[in-house]
Amino acid sequence: MTTFLQQVFNGLTLGSIYGLVALGLTLVYGILHIPNFAHGALYMVGAFMSYFFMVDMGVHYWIAMAGSAVVVAVLGIICERLVFHQLRNSPPIHDKIAAIGILLFLEAMVHMFWGSEFRRMSSPFGGVMNLDGVYLREQGILIIASTVVLVVALNLFLRKTMVGATIIAMAQNREGAFLVGIDANRVAMMTFAISGGLAAIAATLYAPLNLVYPAMGHLVIMKAFVIIILGGMGSIPGAIVGGMIIGFAEAFGGYYISTAYKDVIAFSLLVVILSIRPQGLFAKGAH
Amino acid sequence: MLQLKNVDGHYGSFKALNNINMTVDTGGLVVLLGANGAGKSTLFNTISGLIKPTAGSVEFEDKILNGMRPSEVVNSGVVQCAEGRQLFPQMSVHDNLMLGAYVHRRDKEGNRKRLNEVLELFPILEEKSHQPAGSLSGGQQQMVAIGRAMMSRPRLLMLDEPSLGLAPLVVKQMFQTIQQINSLGTTVLLAEQNAFAALKIATYAYVMENGQLVMDGDSKAMLGNEEVRKAYIGA
Ligand SMILES: Nc1ncnc2c1ncn2[C@@H]1O[C@H](COP(=O)(O)OP(=O)(O)O)[C@@H](O)[C@H]1O
Ligand SMILES: [Mg+2]
Repeated sequence: MTTFLQQVFNGLTLGSIYGLVALGLTLVYGILHIPNFAHGALYMVGAFMSYFFMVDMGVHYWIAMAGSAVVVAVLGIICERLVFHQLRNSPPIHDKIAAIGILLFLEAMVHMFWGSEFRRMSSPFGGVMNLDGVYLREQGILIIASTVVLVVALNLFLRKTMVGATIIAMAQNREGAFLVGIDANRVAMMTFAISGGLAAIAATLYAPLNLVYPAMGHLVIMKAFVIIILGGMGSIPGAIVGGMIIGFAEAFGGYYISTAYKDVIAFSLLVVILSIRPQGLFAKGAH
Repeated sequence: MLQLKNVDGHYGSFKALNNINMTVDTGGLVVLLGANGAGKSTLFNTISGLIKPTAGSVEFEDKILNGMRPSEVVNSGVVQCAEGRQLFPQMSVHDNLMLGAYVHRRDKEGNRKRLNEVLELFPILEEKSHQPAGSLSGGQQQMVAIGRAMMSRPRLLMLDEPSLGLAPLVVKQMFQTIQQINSLGTTVLLAEQNAFAALKIATYAYVMENGQLVMDGDSKAMLGNEEVRKAYIGA
């Protein structure tokens, strides 16, 4: 029972991170129809920015997280303006190629400034709580709680504010959105900003349990794509539930099967679920 | 109020609009008749800024609309209720209507007032306020679409085939409502295939064929015109 609960906790922790990353990816896909392969690179830059703010500038963890979220949100907007906006009338393959270009560019930039070594980034939440033999890392609790807060906040923003409604409107009917005078550019920039901000926060939350290095986004983005395919491209609840499924599968699979196969589990699950439900677990379209 | 001068429009190399000259006067209810594929929707989308004309100009009051983004056209007071309704299907009726007020989002008081006027026009929408727009009947969805356009406070309202796919009785009500909207002070440009019903409420009419305006005139005179009757009314 203790090991079971331990894996539940680990699954929730992992699932939260995956969910946050997938959320940003699915928003950009659902609203702008761009499969943003560079999303993992935004995640990676988010970790490096927090590292920079904390270690080099000496600011507090929370401030570093906020600063990193802002920087990556702006970076997302720059990608939209400079690259994806210019390609809006081109065939879809151009978006994909450009996204890979951004990915390579960002990695090269980080390489240039910070080199390729693995770095450790600690947070003030390094403790571990022992609950009847179940070890709850404070950072894990922080990750789960932050994810709940962010998902609730995002939902309130999308459902209760006029600005949020324009984003949903654009996802549900592009032409309808134009007809009521919604500015496509503003929605596109806002979507990239939210997506980038979420990636940076996820990276900052996860970095203390992991390492910071230029290639850290690779596996994460692959899994995020698996998640949004599972959850239904563009579906917000699908991203969260999909994230949890992969998080739990990895936690339990890693323990009961083998940690060596941990990263294969997500992709095996993709094959299995898609052969049963090719449209993904949730119907497509943003809700 | 609205003036189109020598407007051309293309889809690739296909010329969908050919030298369109058209005037809509303030307060009028102008109908644009034409069979399927004549180019009515293309013309509306060109005025709305969704399609860029390849030649000519679109003027509204003292503004040049061609070259504006769709959001700027709406801001100028030209609002289209497009073919196929273009609602936000998973959003509630209320949220659909309020998004119509997007360009006036800072004027909360004005929007409340406007919403009441729209609900007076379509009382049924008050009951359905919290239902997803996509779950309504075709006629009710068309009401949401027109209501949403009215929330943008148009000075010129363009309606693209609002009667399409509706039952005859609902169509009759729809035309009455359009006439009511016009008599309350909104200038209307109406694209229709339902020539008889449209001409009866209109003040002026244009006839479109293959991307060209082939005839125009007073709508009552058109109703009596032999050629028009043969081609569009079938009587
Ligand atoms: N997106 C498009 N791409 C290419 N051709 C189009 C497109 N939309 C409409 N057309 C063509 O333009 C012509 C006019 O269409 P449309 O404006 O929809 O006519 P109407 O609204 O009068 O039925 C038709 O021949 C139609 O096939
Ligand atoms: Mg049409």
